[in-house]
Amino acid sequence: MVSYGDLTISILAASLPLTMPILYAAIGEVYAERSGVLNMGIEGVMSLSAFVSLWVTFSTGSYPYGLLSGMAVGLAMGGLHSFVTVRIGINQLIAGLMVYFLALSLGDFGYVIVTKTTYLHVRPISPVQIPALSNLPVLGPILFSQNVLVYASLAVALLLGLILFRTTWGLKIRAVGENPEAADSAGINVNLVRHLCVITGSTLAGLAGASLVLGYLGLYATGDTLVAGRGWIAIVVVIFARWSPYRAIAGAWVFGLGYSIAAIFIGSGLFSDLGPGSGYFLLAIPYIFAIVFILLFHRGTKSPSSLTVPYKRK
Amino acid sequence: MTRVSPGKYLPYLLGVLVSLVLFSVILSAFGYDAVTSMEGLVSGSFGTTFLASETFFLMGPLLLAALAFLVPFRARFYNIGVEGQLYIGALFGYLAAAQLGGFPSAVAIPVMLLAAAAGGTIWLALPLLMRIKLQVNEIFPTLVMNFIALDVVNWLTAGPLKDPLSGNLQTPALPQSTWLPALIKSTQFNVGVIVALAAAVAVYFVLYKTVLGYEIRASGASPRAAQSGGVNVSRSILAVGLMSGALAGLAGIVVVAGVDHVLAQNFSPGYGYQGISVAALGSFHPLGIVVASVLYAALSVGGESLQRSVAAIPIDLVYALQAIIVLSVLVVEKWIGDRTGRSR
Repeated sequence: MVSYGDLTISILAASLPLTMPILYAAIGEVYAERSGVLNMGIEGVMSLSAFVSLWVTFSTGSYPYGLLSGMAVGLAMGGLHSFVTVRIGINQLIAGLMVYFLALSLGDFGYVIVTKTTYLHVRPISPVQIPALSNLPVLGPILFSQNVLVYASLAVALLLGLILFRTTWGLKIRAVGENPEAADSAGINVNLVRHLCVITGSTLAGLAGASLVLGYLGLYATGDTLVAGRGWIAIVVVIFARWSPYRAIAGAWVFGLGYSIAAIFIGSGLFSDLGPGSGYFLLAIPYIFAIVFILLFHRGTKSPSSLTVPYKRK
Repeated sequence: MTRVSPGKYLPYLLGVLVSLVLFSVILSAFGYDAVTSMEGLVSGSFGTTFLASETFFLMGPLLLAALAFLVPFRARFYNIGVEGQLYIGALFGYLAAAQLGGFPSAVAIPVMLLAAAAGGTIWLALPLLMRIKLQVNEIFPTLVMNFIALDVVNWLTAGPLKDPLSGNLQTPALPQSTWLPALIKSTQFNVGVIVALAAAVAVYFVLYKTVLGYEIRASGASPRAAQSGGVNVSRSILAVGLMSGALAGLAGIVVVAGVDHVLAQNFSPGYGYQGISVAALGSFHPLGIVVASVLYAALSVGGESLQRSVAAIPIDLVYALQAIIVLSVLVVEKWIGDRTGRSR
């Protein structure tokens, strides 16, 4: 017999690690979009970086190396995306989707090659039990016994929120996204800012993929069954976080909760008496959340004015 | 835009050339023989009647999926949800076909195709209405509906519609009268391709030879100018949405009724997404994508042959090549366009 109290705590405790990759990716996408560039490729970037970081950590035994290599993958793919969209100026939506296909298939290719000889897996990074607090009932397991990447994701959201809204760098980024002509006349190098934002954003997507595999799953799966839509969800999070890293925390958590409900319910077998295949309904939960959220919060959301519009000096 | 000039095909040739060079470099880097692999791609997609029939079969769903993306794209409505609409279209087509066993093919097949078209359109209805009534950008609703569609079909093929006699997650077979007839006996090459080609011609005609098509293209070129010029942009978007969903539904049913003859879990390896690549590769022109769909299908079928060959090159590398080709073509096209003063 499953206790509903325990079930609720399990769901909430699992929701934070499931929030983490979505949050990293969403903050990165906030930066790219704030500067005026849509990056639809992050789902693929997350998948490729998940494979690379898993492989590196498996081979070297080092989690930091794994994380760094995942971020390097993000950086490289960000360089590609910003080259084709900012430097050349091709359609950002199509470019992002191609980056998605490219990264996803390269990750799967690498995995197929490597697993010819080995079974790739790592032990996910262990949780840090915060002294005293982790022993609290209910709150302890939910908030204070998570791994360091979970805490870091919250810190990164706060830090990058601060930079975006409280520094001149942030002001420049927002100016470039809202009114590139004005930003240019004020002496800001519009396309340089965009390159940097896209690359930063994609590097965070790389960190998202690395954190998913090193901080939670510990293994890889081909055909986009690993990232399983978290990258797409991150882009939806950006919309109703209204392009703010702070609000992205709440937005990402809502979907982390959706994934957590699905995972725990399927694991508990509570719905198995609804007939074969009914578990697929639970898998649809995060996506139904997404549609409902778009319907509820579409009012008043206004994307950066120059989003998807390439900038050419007159 | 329809004017043919000698330089028009240059970007494609250059783009494909650039990607093949990149592909060779990647192949060599992983210790494969680049030249043999390239030959393998060609002989593996057209080398035998069987392989060629597979290539031309695959062209059907790819072309329909590409049209489903292209039509609304021309009115600046970005339907990323073709994959989901394709699954729901296949589901509706299957449900209709299952009731049509007693009818001759001449009745059963058209009714099944209509049901599939309706299914695709129904799955696009919510994002379409959200866009028209609430001004919600369609990219994310259409994308998210893909995953829900997949879960719906996964549930039905594992539960209520599952064939109890099969170990696979799939429905029982469609009645034979609803199978799309083969064009070459006992190959995969079937009437689905004709459906796709007819759809491409129809889309060309609607886009370039009718008032509606003019309004659609005007809405896409500059929504504000079109609106002030008396074009009802919402009506254009409604029209492209209805056409797009229907085309996506057809893309699903030509696979199910053409080759699989059952509705199976994960029957589409992402035709809906690949259609976006094909549309971009065909320069978003209904006739250009006919050529693009053959190239894309040949790469997929050739890639599968390479995977089965002695070299056993994972097909993922060919998927990567497909993305590289599209990116290269778009980059070269834009680069040349900027330098010759032609803009699009």
